[in-house]
Amino acid sequence: MSENNYLQVDHLVKYFGDDRAVDGISFGIPEGKFLTLLGPSGCGKTTTLMCIAGLHKPDAGEIRIGADPVTSIENRINTAPEKRNIGMVFQSYAIWPHMDVSQNVAYPLEIRNMAQSEIDDRVAEALEIVGLTDMADKNATQLSGGQQQRAALARAMVFRPRLLLFDEPLSNLDLKLREQMRVELKRIQHEIGITSIYVTHDQAEALVMSDEIIVMSKGHIEQTGGPHSIYARPVNKFVSDFIGVANLTEGRIVSNGGGGSGTIEISQGGESVQLPCLLADGLAEGDDAFLSVRPENVDASRQPKDGPRIEGEVIQSVFLGNCLDCRVKWGEFEWKVLAHSRERLRVGEKVYVRLDPDHTLAVRP
Amino acid sequence: MATDTAAPQIDVAPPRGWRTWFTQENIITTIVGLIVAVAVIVPLVALVINSFLVLDDLGFDTEWGLQNYRDIFQGRVIKKALINTAIISTGCTILATLLGVSLAWINARTNCPFREQLEPFNLIPFFLSPFVGAIAWHNLASPKVGLLNNMAKSAFGIDFPLFNVNNLWGVIWVTGIFFAPLVYLFVVGSLRRMDPSLEDSARTTGAGLLRTTFTITLPLVTPAILSGAIIVFVTTAGEFGVPFKLSAPFGWETLTTQIFTKAVGDDANHYLGAAMSMVVGVVTAFFIWIQHRIIAPRSYTTVTGKGFRPNLIDLGGWKWLAFAYNVFYVCVAVVLPIICLFFVSLHKIWSGRIIWSELTFWNYQKVLFFWWPESIDAATNGIINSFILAFGGASIAMVVAIIVSYMIHRTKGYGARVLDFLSVIPIGFPGIVLAMGVLVTYIKTPIYATLWILLLGYITRFFPYGQRNISSIMMAVSEELDQSSRMAGATWLTTLRRITIPLLKPGIFAGWILLFVIFLRELSISIILYSAGTETLSVGVYYLSNFENEPMTSALSIAQTVALLICVVIFRKVAGKEALTA
Ligand SMILES: Nc1ncnc2c1ncn2[C@@H]1O[C@H](COP(=O)(O)OP(=O)(O)OP(=O)(O)O)[C@@H](O)[C@H]1O
Ligand SMILES: [Mg+2]
Repeated sequence: MSENNYLQVDHLVKYFGDDRAVDGISFGIPEGKFLTLLGPSGCGKTTTLMCIAGLHKPDAGEIRIGADPVTSIENRINTAPEKRNIGMVFQSYAIWPHMDVSQNVAYPLEIRNMAQSEIDDRVAEALEIVGLTDMADKNATQLSGGQQQRAALARAMVFRPRLLLFDEPLSNLDLKLREQMRVELKRIQHEIGITSIYVTHDQAEALVMSDEIIVMSKGHIEQTGGPHSIYARPVNKFVSDFIGVANLTEGRIVSNGGGGSGTIEISQGGESVQLPCLLADGLAEGDDAFLSVRPENVDASRQPKDGPRIEGEVIQSVFLGNCLDCRVKWGEFEWKVLAHSRERLRVGEKVYVRLDPDHTLAVRP
Repeated sequence: MATDTAAPQIDVAPPRGWRTWFTQENIITTIVGLIVAVAVIVPLVALVINSFLVLDDLGFDTEWGLQNYRDIFQGRVIKKALINTAIISTGCTILATLLGVSLAWINARTNCPFREQLEPFNLIPFFLSPFVGAIAWHNLASPKVGLLNNMAKSAFGIDFPLFNVNNLWGVIWVTGIFFAPLVYLFVVGSLRRMDPSLEDSARTTGAGLLRTTFTITLPLVTPAILSGAIIVFVTTAGEFGVPFKLSAPFGWETLTTQIFTKAVGDDANHYLGAAMSMVVGVVTAFFIWIQHRIIAPRSYTTVTGKGFRPNLIDLGGWKWLAFAYNVFYVCVAVVLPIICLFFVSLHKIWSGRIIWSELTFWNYQKVLFFWWPESIDAATNGIINSFILAFGGASIAMVVAIIVSYMIHRTKGYGARVLDFLSVIPIGFPGIVLAMGVLVTYIKTPIYATLWILLLGYITRFFPYGQRNISSIMMAVSEELDQSSRMAGATWLTTLRRITIPLLKPGIFAGWILLFVIFLRELSISIILYSAGTETLSVGVYYLSNFENEPMTSALSIAQTVALLICVVIFRKVAGKEALTA
C-alpha cells in the first residue's frame, strides 16, 4: 500500500539534545491529497514538516517523494532543501520586505533561470489564482495579513513544486478571515491538484480542510484517518479528548461480541452499568478502556427507556435553541448531554441518561 | 489510504560522541570561532605572560617575577598615575551621567523648544575625537594661551587666569562633555519607549511633576543609566589623548600616559607596560562583565512596548531654562572648540589672542598638501593612512561582523556560544590595553611596523560594534525569510546574497560608517602600534602637538573634524534617527 503513496515518511526520528521531538513516526499520502498533521503545541508537527522540507536533518528514518528518496539516514542521503522542489508557506508568511509582491513571486522562477516572458506569465497566473492581481506592485509591508498569506501561497506554488507544505499558515489571522481562508486555501489546493501537508493545532481547521488527518502527541502518531473517522471513531483517549467534545470515563471491557462490538462496564459510587459499544482495535475482554461518547449522542429524559439505566440529576441546563446543553451528575461523573429542547429539563430534576449504542465507543486508554 | 498507524518502537540513541559533532554547522562555526579567538585571545594571553616577566637593570634579560606589579602599586610615579586614573574616571562618570541623563530627559520627555533641532547636535561629540577636544580646550582655557582667559583679561581686566584646564579637573571636564552622549544614547531610547501610563498613574495618585520624575521615571531607566555610566567609566579609564594633552605635561600622569611611555621611546619597558595594561584591563573587563551580565538584561523589563507616544511634560516657563542649558552644552562641546581651533589654525604663532591682520591658510598647506616638499610627513602620511585604514578596516570588520552574527543567530552549533562570548571580550579592554597586547605579540613578526598590525588592532578591538549593529537586525528578521528562500530553490549562498544581506543592508551601512568614524579618529591603539611611515591622522595630530606648534596642530585637527562631521551627516541619512540609541 505504501508504494501507492506519493510521499512516504518512514520511522522518522529527530532529537533536540536528549529530547525526542519526533519519535519514529511513519505515514504516507497519495498524490493530490491534502494531509493534516494535527496536535497540541510542542508535539513535533513543525519538526516533522522541517524534516520533509530538508531544513532539519532527522537522526533516523527515510523520506521518499515519488520515486526519489530525499532523506535516508541509513544510506547517508539528505537532499538539500533547495534541491527538493517543495513549496512551503510559513506561519509568519515570510514575505521578503525588500521586494514587491511580484518580485517575491518571481523569485523561485528566477532561481530556476526561466525566460523573463515565462516568468511574467507564471507570476500573473499565480497571482490570479490567489486573487492578488491588483497588488502585484505593492510592497510586502503594505499588505494585510490575509494578502501576505495569499502572496506567500503564490510564491510557494508558482514553480509547480512536487509538494506544498503549510506550517500553521492561518494562525496569525483573525477568526473571520481564518474561516474564509480555510475554504479558499482548500479551493486553490484542489484547483491545482497539488499534494499538500498542512500543520495545525486547530481541530476545526483540520476537519474542514483535510482528506486525511494525522493526530500527533509527544512525537508519536496517535491516529490516522479521514476527518469523519477521526471524529466518529477515535481510537484512544487522547484523540477523543483532543478532537471535539466527548464524555470520557474509565471502564473495563466485559465482553467482546466480535465484529468490533462488545460491552463496557463503567461504575460510579458503587453503581455499575454495562453498555453495548463499539470497540477500538486491539481491545479484548478484561482490558481497561475508556468509554467515549459525544454529547450529541447522549440523550436525557424524565422517563426511563429500554436498555441500561443511568439515573442522574441535572445540575446545569442551557437553552441553545435547537437543543439543551445539560450536565447530568451521576456519582462523581458529569455527563455532557445535548438533549432535545422539547424535554425542557430543569436543574435539580432526576433524569435517565441514554447512550446511542451505535455511537458509544470503547477506546484505548 | 492510511498507512502504518502503530509505529514500531525505533531504537535510535540520541546523537552523541565525536562523530555526531562533525556537522557542517559545527565545523564552520568552529573555524571562524578559532580565527576570531586567536585574534582576540592571543594578545591578551601575551599580555598576561609578559606582565610577569621582569626586565633586569641592564635592560637585556628578563626573569619571571612579580616585580612589575610591585612597581605599580608601590612605585611613586605609577601609583600616583593609578590614583589619577581613578579620580578622572570617577569624576568623568559623574559629570557625563549628569549631563547625559538631564539632556536625554529634556529631549525625550519635555516640551523644551527646538529639541528636535538640538538632538543631532547633542550627539556630535560622540563622533568627534576627544583628543582634538582636549587640544581645543587647551587653547580655550589654559592659563597662558587660553583664548577665554585672554578675552576675560581684555574685556574685564581680570589679571589671573580665570580657567585652568591643565590639571585633573580639565581632563574630567573635557572627557565629561565628550562622553555624555554615551549616557544620553543609552537613556534616551529607554525614555522614549517607556509606557506613559506608568508616569500617568503616578500623577493621578497626586505626585507632582518633579516627584514623578525622581520616583518613577528615573528609577525605571536606572539600568540604562547604569549601563551608560559603566561604559563611560571604562572608556575614560582607557582614554589616552585627553590626559596626554591636558594634564600629563603638567605632572598629572595617568596609567594610559604611563603605558605609552613604556611602549615607545627611550625608557621603553614592554613588560612593565604589559603589567600596567593588565591592571587597567582587569578593572575595565570586570565592569563590562557586570554591565553585560547584571545590568543589560534588566534594562528591557522597564519598557513595556514600542510605539507609545508618551505625553510630554509641560515645563512652563522653565522650558527656556532647559533650552538654554542644552544650548550651553552644545556650545562647550561642539561650537566653541571648533571655532577656537579654526582661529588658532589661521595663525602662524598662537599667543592666546586673535590677531586679525595675520590670519593665513599657511598651516593647512603644511599639513594637507602632501605633494608639496615642505609639507609635514607625519601629517600627510597620517591622512592617507587613516583613510586607507578606515576604509579597509571598516570593510573587513563588517564582513567579520556579518559572519559572526550569522553564526551566532542562524546556526545553533556549539561554536555559536563561543563566538558570542568572544565578541564581547574586546569591548571590555580599552584600545591601549589591547594594543599593548598586540604589540608584545607581533613585535618580532614581519607585520610589525606595517599598516597590517594597525589594521589587526583596529578590527580586533572594534568588530563587536559592527556585530551588535548586525545582530540587532538579524534578531528582528525572522529566520523563516531565509528558509523560504531555500524552499524556493535557492542555495545557501544565493540566499545569503539575495535575501539575508539585502535585509541587513541598513545595518551594514550604519555599522560601516560608525567603524569608519571610529577608525578615522583612532588614537590609543595607533599611538602604541605606529612607526615612522605608518602614522595615522590622530598620530599626526599628536606629532604636531608634540614637535610643532598649536596652530599647525589645530589645522590638522580641523581637517579631521570636518571629515568626521561629513560622516555624521551621511550616518544620519543612512541610519535614521534612532540607529544609535540603545
Ligand atoms: N530548534 C530547536 N531546538 C531545541 N528544541 C526544539 C527546537 N525546535 C523544536 N524543539 C522542541 O521540539 C519539540 C517539538 O517542537 P515543534 O516545533 O515541532 O512543535 P509543534 O508541534 O510545531 O508545536 P507548535 O504548535 O507550538 O508549533 C518541542 O518540545 C520543542 O521545544
Ligand atoms: Mg510549530
